[in-house]
Amino acid sequence: MTSSKTIVLRSSDGATFEVDEAVALHSLMIKHRIETGGADSTTIDVPEVTGNTLSKVIEYCKKHVEAPNSDDLKSFDTDFVKVDQAVLCHLAKASYYMNIKGLLDLSSKTIADMFKGKTVEQIRETFHIKNDFTPEEEEELRKENSWNLFV
Amino acid sequence: MFACRNLLKLNKIRKKKRRKPHKSSTPKPPKQNPNSTTHDSHQFSLKSQSLGVQPLGNFYLTSSHHNTRNPGLGTIKSLTDELILDILGLLEPTHLGVLSSVSKSLYVFCNHEPIWKNLVLACSPHGFLFKGSWKSTFVAEKYPAYYSKAGSFGLNLKVQDFYSDYLFQSWLCANLEMKSEWLVRDNIIRRKGVSVDEFVNDFEALNKLVLIEGCLGNWGAMEKWDRDYLVKVCGDARFSVGPTQMTMREYFVYADQAHEERPLYLFDPGFANKVKELGRDYETPVYFNEDLFSVLGNERPDYRWIIIGPAGSGSSFHIDPNSTLAWNAVVKGSKKWVLFPPDVVPPGVYPSADGAEVACPVSITEWFMNFYEATKTLKKRPVECVCKAGEVIFVPNGWWHLVINLEDSIAITQNFVSRRNLLNVLEFLKKPNASTLVSGTRDRVNLHDKFKKAIEASFPGTIDELAKEAEKKKTEMEKPSFWDSVKDSNSGGFKFSF
Repeated sequence: MTSSKTIVLRSSDGATFEVDEAVALHSLMIKHRIETGGADSTTIDVPEVTGNTLSKVIEYCKKHVEAPNSDDLKSFDTDFVKVDQAVLCHLAKASYYMNIKGLLDLSSKTIADMFKGKTVEQIRETFHIKNDFTPEEEEELRKENSWNLFV
Repeated sequence: MFACRNLLKLNKIRKKKRRKPHKSSTPKPPKQNPNSTTHDSHQFSLKSQSLGVQPLGNFYLTSSHHNTRNPGLGTIKSLTDELILDILGLLEPTHLGVLSSVSKSLYVFCNHEPIWKNLVLACSPHGFLFKGSWKSTFVAEKYPAYYSKAGSFGLNLKVQDFYSDYLFQSWLCANLEMKSEWLVRDNIIRRKGVSVDEFVNDFEALNKLVLIEGCLGNWGAMEKWDRDYLVKVCGDARFSVGPTQMTMREYFVYADQAHEERPLYLFDPGFANKVKELGRDYETPVYFNEDLFSVLGNERPDYRWIIIGPAGSGSSFHIDPNSTLAWNAVVKGSKKWVLFPPDVVPPGVYPSADGAEVACPVSITEWFMNFYEATKTLKKRPVECVCKAGEVIFVPNGWWHLVINLEDSIAITQNFVSRRNLLNVLEFLKKPNASTLVSGTRDRVNLHDKFKKAIEASFPGTIDELAKEAEKKKTEMEKPSFWDSVKDSNSGGFKFSF
């Protein structure tokens, strides 16, 4: 039986999560904290991340640490980011802060993909953005972007 | 001659008294019209800001309470600026074009120059003609028909009330000139007219830094190398500039117009092969003539580079790979050096455990803004100097160094292996990651064996001799001194001593 050390991660809103050390180390930020932490590195505060997001991040790390070669890893990732925009943004920020490259790449790419293949109006609708250009400015924009029409 | 964007001269529009930076190190300029290029010396104004980005601090000083940034991002407004830029970096240029029309905020983000810089470098590996900005250059390169019809390309919208620390910082570092207080400390040991023996015994053998003056007098380069000569003599030859290859003419067009945080510099190890005259215009200073890698002939790794760059270009902190020694001679211009000994990691630098990677996340200017002050209170302070035309700096094995060109500069640098560091280099080459760190040799994997064999062939017995000397030194150092053994017995320590 392998003895596995556990680490407790504490979110900004006080929620605690006990995880295997190996899973926690998937975050390079936590790895660095543990390595430089000293005696009391069994509880690590993650003040930039709320409990809900941290729970999801841990779910990602668990899957990637415990079954990195599994066949369904790709579909796990695809389903993992089928969340609403707010959660997606929280995941991106958390993975950036916690230095989890795989999750950062995954969430960034997902957001990037949401911009692709859409018109200006469709993007505004998707992200609830109000048009703040005046008609004169829009005319200027059309001229500036006319290179985009040349193929 | 060179158009001089000279970092040594004080900018006439410079603020006289700079406020202490707040904790994010973003300077808080007083309220001002972001689009002004006022010459009022009390204003913190640098050069004209084409997009009107202001630091977040200003937001708290204005009465408008409106930051264009957030409404223009909608549901992704909670992402940091850096994240947004990283995400935009994943997009094709056509997507960026569409996105820049969505809102003013996205207009600012999508026109962030570093994004377009990456696109140009990716699509133009064989060089390009810089057109004043990276976005213009991209449009000219990828859509030449459009560009020549349009005659030019520019960004014409000014955005008001956009506050962002990250974007402002990026713009600031691109336009900031080196503060005179960053250039004052010059504590390197300087020598002139020193003999080779003195140099070897006092510096090379002891792995000590020194700046040597007055030993480039016989270099044709000192008189001949100006822009016109280089463009003429190099013709269509292409030189390494970052990931791309440019002619001298193309490079100077870029260097004259570039205003960015990390300007590209021309750094080419094959310059003397590409243009024979360049190789003939200089010679290795006599101090550095022992060059043991030369036993490998054409199979030797890259060992010499020409370095050309505008003010602000340079290298952030690193240690030269190969465990070699190096010299760097300034032909034109001047460079600021900051060096730390091998056992002191500079502030703001994060090397990986095996030393293979060095993360210095900030640009050179940002390092000076955020970390230079801290070096004044360090126990082991860095060695600093400004190396001017005609001067050569000797950089021993393993020293951290940061270099920034203070004006348009040309330099030659070489690394070399002498008897004194031969064993170190062989040791280094044995390491498993050596093959990734050694640049410029086709057969990196066998370099250790080849080098060792070649040394044995040209200098038989040398390696064994050096190994014996090193062993002798080691045992001498490990032998407890009389004083040590006296101390031990006083403290009650028990020690065998054979």
